[in-house]
Amino acid sequence: MASLSQLVDNVVVMSFDLDQSLVTIGRRAENSIRIDEISVSGQHAVIEAIPNAYLDGVTDYYISDCNSTNGTLVNDLRVSERQRLNSNDLIRIGWNEFRFIDDSENALEQTAYILEE
Amino acid sequence: MTCFAVAGLSDAGVRRAVNEDAVAWRVSQAGDQALLVVADGMGGYAGGSVASELAVAAVLEVIGPKLEIPDQDPMTMDDAIQAAFNLAQRRILSRRQQMPALAKMGTTLVLAWIRDDEAHIAHLGDSRCYLIRGGEVQCQTRDDTVVQKMLEDGSINERDVPKVPFRNVLTRALGGSSDVLASMRRIDLLAGDRLLLCSDGLTGALPESCWSGLLGGEASSAEQVRQLVDASLANQASDNVSVVLLTVL
Repeated sequence: MASLSQLVDNVVVMSFDLDQSLVTIGRRAENSIRIDEISVSGQHAVIEAIPNAYLDGVTDYYISDCNSTNGTLVNDLRVSERQRLNSNDLIRIGWNEFRFIDDSENALEQTAYILEE
Repeated sequence: MTCFAVAGLSDAGVRRAVNEDAVAWRVSQAGDQALLVVADGMGGYAGGSVASELAVAAVLEVIGPKLEIPDQDPMTMDDAIQAAFNLAQRRILSRRQQMPALAKMGTTLVLAWIRDDEAHIAHLGDSRCYLIRGGEVQCQTRDDTVVQKMLEDGSINERDVPKVPFRNVLTRALGGSSDVLASMRRIDLLAGDRLLLCSDGLTGALPESCWSGLLGGEASSAEQVRQLVDASLANQASDNVSVVLLTVL
């Protein structure tokens, strides 16, 4: 399962499992991940977990910004449309930093292979 | 009559000890037909190189003699191309059954059969064929990969491609797929055009945008191929790099 680790000065202070098909992030209480901090919008961003249509057992995680005031950034680039996350991506929600971790990526072979039928 | 200059090269790259690619090219005695082949094998141990060599040998066996037959019907040429893919598949599956160590081997295959000013292009897997015309580089094949399918269904965009962890997963190739119906197309060639066949080691180390400076000018096909491979090695090509280049004179 993938997770989001909140970083402060590059130190992990909190970890959130991405164990639902839709994880909402924002300042309001009803969000899956609540960040009560002024740079974060009420509903700021969402992360969707979607089974890969072509690879059994692989889940893709996509982040979208919900028209937040201060934006969502992945690796310092602003998210303008739904974007696939890769393990170790650095996500900024307002002034807050998170590291996206997906350990299952390591299981995928680095060399080429064919999907056997 | 159209004349061709053809050259090719395959290199293990800077990080791999074994070259699992195979390349071949032939020009008919009359000089009016040419055949270009690139295969990129996979499957560990010696499997990759065995599979790619079996595939290239099957293509030369089926199509090689036909290069000397003038005025062939284009449909007959396409049938021969598919027969070559089918033979390659049978040989690879047979060898997989005989030798357990090779049970996972497979290979991509891309070929171009040029007769006068028409090229028949066929492929399975992610080895590609490009047309280079007037400095513009146009890919003529569509990769059989998970990444290509996700690009087409909108799951990811071009910016994501170098980062996705499964970018090496093929949806179709010889050995692993039961469906080996080659993807085929025909294109008309003009004087000065180049057709370039390559394994993904070239595109992985040297983006298409870097090619135009290395292709063209007065250099021979062999020199241009050498320049492309050298440039990919200078970029620390981590995969095997193979190129076959045809120039229409």
